[in-house]
Amino acid sequence: MSFSWEESRKMWLAELIGGVAVLILGVAVVFFSSQLSYYSEFEPGPGFLPLWVGVVLIGCAIFVIINILKKHVKIGTFFKPRTKLGLHVLIIIFITFLLLPLLGFSIGLALFVGITMRIMGKHRWVSCGLTAVVTAIAIHFIFGHWLSIPLPTGIIGW
Amino acid sequence: MDLLHNLYTGFSIALTFNNIIYCLVGVFFGQIVGVLPGIGAPTAIALLLPLTFTVNPTSALIMFAGIYYGVAYGGTITSVLINVPGESSTVMTCLDGYQMALKGRAGAALSVAAIGSWIAGTASVILLMTFAPALAKFALRFGPPEYFALAFMAFGLLTVFGGAQPIKIVISTMLGLLLATIGLDVVSGLPRFAFGIPQLLGGIDFIVIICGIFGVAEVFNSIEEPEEGELIKQKMHLRDLFLTWEEWVASRWAIVRGAVIGFFIGMIPAGGITTASFLAYLAEKRYSKHPERFGTGAIEGVAAPESANNAASISGFAPLLALGIPGSPTTAVMLAGFMMWGIRPGPLLFQTKPDLVWGLIASMYIGNFLLLLMNIFLIPPFVAILRLPYTIIMGFIVIFASVGAYSVNNNLFDVWMMLGFGVLGYVMKKLEYPIVPLVLALVLGRLAENSLRQALIISGGSLFIFFTRPISGIFIAAGILAYLTPVIRWAMKGLGRAKADAS
Repeated sequence: MSFSWEESRKMWLAELIGGVAVLILGVAVVFFSSQLSYYSEFEPGPGFLPLWVGVVLIGCAIFVIINILKKHVKIGTFFKPRTKLGLHVLIIIFITFLLLPLLGFSIGLALFVGITMRIMGKHRWVSCGLTAVVTAIAIHFIFGHWLSIPLPTGIIGW
Repeated sequence: MDLLHNLYTGFSIALTFNNIIYCLVGVFFGQIVGVLPGIGAPTAIALLLPLTFTVNPTSALIMFAGIYYGVAYGGTITSVLINVPGESSTVMTCLDGYQMALKGRAGAALSVAAIGSWIAGTASVILLMTFAPALAKFALRFGPPEYFALAFMAFGLLTVFGGAQPIKIVISTMLGLLLATIGLDVVSGLPRFAFGIPQLLGGIDFIVIICGIFGVAEVFNSIEEPEEGELIKQKMHLRDLFLTWEEWVASRWAIVRGAVIGFFIGMIPAGGITTASFLAYLAEKRYSKHPERFGTGAIEGVAAPESANNAASISGFAPLLALGIPGSPTTAVMLAGFMMWGIRPGPLLFQTKPDLVWGLIASMYIGNFLLLLMNIFLIPPFVAILRLPYTIIMGFIVIFASVGAYSVNNNLFDVWMMLGFGVLGYVMKKLEYPIVPLVLALVLGRLAENSLRQALIISGGSLFIFFTRPISGIFIAAGILAYLTPVIRWAMKGLGRAKADAS
């Protein structure tokens, strides 16, 4: 597999951002755990483990950052041809979850299935619609009735 | 005699109509999961776990165990027929299995995988029956220092078997430990990293994290990199499934060696079925008088890794049942199940819940036998599953993950968190941060922290307690050695390079 210089440069940047994110997380963990007691009588306090976790995270992040800064590229591809499609699905899931209190689980998740089938699979509208209806009925009866999970029902009551 | 009595108890439980059905559903579902690329055993069990709140724990565990070893069988089909491993544990099978299929011996490859898996699986159950109670008896001597040392060693072994860059394994382990600390501290009662959010006071439920990090993250990964291969269109007759005498002679000892390697690797914390199949393949190649045949369709190259992954999937239950320590992500998810049902696995489990332990072990004989039959007579229907559009599978995963996360506390906050962990898992995979250490550290984190605190209370604050007690001393030494492995490897590589330069 060959990678272009531009792709490798993006991967390098992503690796660097990843390292910096771990560093920030480590610093935040050390800061918040330092507000908890480190040691009480004979035993480590609630701040003991998180503090050391934070310290190790900082150490590892510095190692990752130095390692990546020594290079100019990192072999690999961060944004792949289908990354955009994955992002679309993420947005659809996000919108679905926002609408769950309104639509309820059965209808909300069934719509998600129908829409993704249409967008990703390019299935016919009829197939997508039918699958969505069957999914809504299946979720309602399997999870709601058979497994007795009190799923939010939304405005329609399903 | 005790063993026979226990086995009798186990079969009397496993052979009830209800449990046979659960076993059948488990192995069937496991086989399907194995065939489908992009969804593995931990994901499948994680997605189903919240739905078993009300199921009898023994029956649920029988089903989950069936999924686990069923996956090891199912992944072989895609490895052989389309050169795409349905499971990471069947990657090695692609090398020779697909070559055999190209030569018209797909039936023999699938057959030797099924027979090898069955023999190794059954042998592994027999060994598990002897080892697990002995291990549990031995573990009765464990106190807090030993449990902390064991967790310390398990984290260290991740750097040996983790497969990724050691530094990223350590970061992933730390993230798992950090997530385990969120919520009220059990000793002081103080909130940690809850930031005033009431839903975080009880900690983040393990199910929420694994539904996201395994389920939803896998959806994004599979959309981005669909694992597609060309199905070998070869009409298979029943007679094609029979091995020739030469093939059987070539594979019989490979099965035995694979079973032994798989059993022992499966028992090591962080060993796992993928490592077992990889090591069995390498060992077989090294042992062979004709290593050049490997990669060109050598039947031993299918028999050894397939036997090893199945043996490991069963022996992985030994540390889980006897010590309460999961050795792989799948057993880690099952440990979450134990917690959900209010059962604490560990040395006392064999005494307090013999019906559960022996029922589960006995069910493995039944499950392996069912899988052998399925893999001889039901290959075509399982191959047909490959034609299922991924959009539908993806929809199922999102539905199960969302309902699973919601059902933990019946609130939408957990569903959002699950999505957040899905994105985290996706980004981690893209940046080559392994997920398995995070999951194991998350499960073992609380045990490790509590054991450390209890041990230091016992010793009056002295760390020497971990070195003066022999068992804990051995674990700590093994852990330190494991952590140093990357440094040792690096030093040896440097030494080798220096020698080469000198010569």
